[in-house]
Amino acid sequence: MPGKAIIVGSGPGGSVMAWELAVAGWNVVIFEQGPNYYTNLGGSGPFPTVFSNDELKALYRYFEQPDPLAYPRTFRQTASQNAANTFVGDVNDLPNQVGGGFPHSDVKTTRMWDIDFKGLSLLGPVPGADMADWPFEYSDLAPYYDEIETLIGVQGDLASIPAFVLQHQPQTKPFPMPPGAQMRSSTLLAAGATRLGLHPFPFPMAANSVPYNGSPACNNCGFCSGYGCPISAKPANLIPLRLALQTGRTQLRPQTTVTQVNYTGRKATGVTYLDAQGNPGGETADIVVLACSAILTPRLALLSNLPDPYSRIGKRIMFQNFYDGFAIFLNQRVHAYRGRSNTQVVFDFNDPNFPGARAFALLCGLPYIRAGLCELGGSQNPIAEGKFYQEILGFLPGVQFFGSTFKQLMRASLLRDRLAGVDCFGTDMPYLTNNVTLDPTIKDLNGQPAPRVTYQIGKFEQASQDFFVPLVSAMCGASGAQLYAAIPQSTANSLGGVAPPSGLHTMGGMQMGVNPATSVVDGNGLMHTMDNVFCSDGSVFATSGGSNPTNTIMAVALRTARGITGRRYPAPATAAMGFGR
Amino acid sequence: MASDEAAEALGSSAPVSRRTVLGGLTLIPVAAVLGSIPPAASAETTFQYLSPHQAAVLDAATRRLIPGPTDNSQETTPGAHEANVVNYLDIMLAAFSFSPPMVHAGGPWSNRAGGSQDFMADFVPLDRAQTYAWQQRITNLRAQYTNGIALLDQLAGGDFTSVSTAQQDSILSTGQAVPFTQLLFGHTIEGMYSVPEYGGNANLVGWQDIQWPGDSQPRGYTDAEVEAAQGDALSASSGIIGLLMRGGWAQTVARMGGKGGVNAR
Repeated sequence: MPGKAIIVGSGPGGSVMAWELAVAGWNVVIFEQGPNYYTNLGGSGPFPTVFSNDELKALYRYFEQPDPLAYPRTFRQTASQNAANTFVGDVNDLPNQVGGGFPHSDVKTTRMWDIDFKGLSLLGPVPGADMADWPFEYSDLAPYYDEIETLIGVQGDLASIPAFVLQHQPQTKPFPMPPGAQMRSSTLLAAGATRLGLHPFPFPMAANSVPYNGSPACNNCGFCSGYGCPISAKPANLIPLRLALQTGRTQLRPQTTVTQVNYTGRKATGVTYLDAQGNPGGETADIVVLACSAILTPRLALLSNLPDPYSRIGKRIMFQNFYDGFAIFLNQRVHAYRGRSNTQVVFDFNDPNFPGARAFALLCGLPYIRAGLCELGGSQNPIAEGKFYQEILGFLPGVQFFGSTFKQLMRASLLRDRLAGVDCFGTDMPYLTNNVTLDPTIKDLNGQPAPRVTYQIGKFEQASQDFFVPLVSAMCGASGAQLYAAIPQSTANSLGGVAPPSGLHTMGGMQMGVNPATSVVDGNGLMHTMDNVFCSDGSVFATSGGSNPTNTIMAVALRTARGITGRRYPAPATAAMGFGR
Repeated sequence: MASDEAAEALGSSAPVSRRTVLGGLTLIPVAAVLGSIPPAASAETTFQYLSPHQAAVLDAATRRLIPGPTDNSQETTPGAHEANVVNYLDIMLAAFSFSPPMVHAGGPWSNRAGGSQDFMADFVPLDRAQTYAWQQRITNLRAQYTNGIALLDQLAGGDFTSVSTAQQDSILSTGQAVPFTQLLFGHTIEGMYSVPEYGGNANLVGWQDIQWPGDSQPRGYTDAEVEAAQGDALSASSGIIGLLMRGGWAQTVARMGGKGGVNAR
């Protein structure tokens, strides 16, 4: 029986939930803390925006992200760390406006693997980690992946996906769009990868290679990762959000911050919020869905003092431990500023059976190691480039960090027009000691405690990094670049002092699981301790995997929503047969 | 961003001198000043926030950070002065003198890449949280600039603009002034290479110098342009590139905790 739902957060998880509920007859109110930079989202046809090819606005002036002076977060590596060493500022902040973070990325839409959902069963426990299976497996989620990819429009080529990848993520439905133009920076790195015996292929992504859903094809403007699209060629989860609004049963309330979920016993009654002017208000509903992302959903649960008898809320935050690869071509310009940030992917390092990885793991006293996928061909724009030179010139003895040397570097453009970059994701283990709590002293502009992130990598991540970083470097070297390297993002960032984790792939905090004593929500996304509070975002992840997380966030959100509306796909017959490994 | 934020935390309790002039945007005339003494900003230029002397100190300092042809005999291309970086800094510090505040330029595009209208010139209004944050940030920045400029003057014996360029380099690169130099250099990079709607990158000289095409919407790039090979080999034997090839790269990568190398050509 459809009722009234409140959804907190308009990102990928909230958008998909709103669409399914509204289509099934529910009345839905979506609260979004950030502004609405679109017009006509609820109408048909184009929905113009004020996003633009503006590096300063997007990357340095918090246009898309929450401003850390208004919404600070704090970071420390361990619970015993001296408070004076606590970092205050941006801690893996995701964009904060209508649509959430995904439309500001380069919308890569890889899937997670079978071993990501059943890591404990299939790969075994990892010392020190709180490894766990998800309550369902890849084959349960596969039809939701198929449906999401068709809904939002994903470009890709099923035939080019290597067999070892398809073995871990069986996929039969062709992508709705063919791959678009392949960036020069990406094809150079892909050639290097192939020379090393790796298996690059065109990156599946939710950018239109042809007109789709009434939105135009991407025109390769180059301002993709980190930027909202000026021409709406990567609408992604804005599509289900628009469909929800177009039912007439969904209200979207931007610039409205939910400060608390109200409840009596096991039943939530609604939420308390602050509106665009900062005035308090309240809304009631039959169900409340938390979809604020991995750090903010547990924070809201903690602020609301939702029942947590086993102290699991906020535990097991995972980020993926990125490594950055550099292939710098002195003999040519590779113009990564044209295209969709990067267009080729290598999945080989996501495989625990990658040649040599098992032996290295044994030497480290671990059952296995793995990194994750590599994005091939990214670069940066000139303000980021200039600030990078400002920093590295300080390392070179006898070189003044400004002046003609700086200008010479900018004109040579080693770290922009001649750079083919790699982002390699490192699978993060879940650790109970990596978590989100409420900061005891730092508060946001509304006087609410900031989320405090406690995080450090463990032995598994360190060993994986030690093994795979030289391989990322070798891949860059094999591309023919004159200068090449791979650097863990964490060590590069920490040169200026205590640096928070980065990468924007945030997962966990409201872990999905079968056992109420060791998880927060059940396999239906419902909190174990509540009758009507659901989670529908990256916070429910039981493991991180080594893929871009958002496709999985949306597929799980759709599965959760279909559980509420009773419109789920039947469980696949193959599920009972296991994985045959 | 982390280092910028840390820098902003310094010196925030100092008094802030306000010299706010409401009104239209004023650009510094591009003056080609030649001679052996450091060139100065044009005296008749008015600013929204900076005093004429403060502007002159910032002009002198940013000429050292990103020099142009009037600042260094080896330079042939425009630098911070020609890009109107001081105007960028003034507008940043005076953002709330405008309505809406000049913090976030608009969209979806300018008129530089096929657009018929410069939508970027229409700044986007700030919401409650953004207003709260930017008022705090700019108050802190004003204090840092006021104190930083005073420090440069003090280290120059009274007037930073009156000492030789060698002395200016020395003051900026060593000792007490370095934290302010780093803050100013970060903002100078922004003023040099951001879209010109923010008041710097005058006549797109910052972009032209580094072969950066800038914003590309609504034209974008063709599939052929995305995939094309493009030559333009660099000389790898001299200058900073030579230094990197001869050990500087390995040193930098090691410092950052990574693995890497150099391929012979």
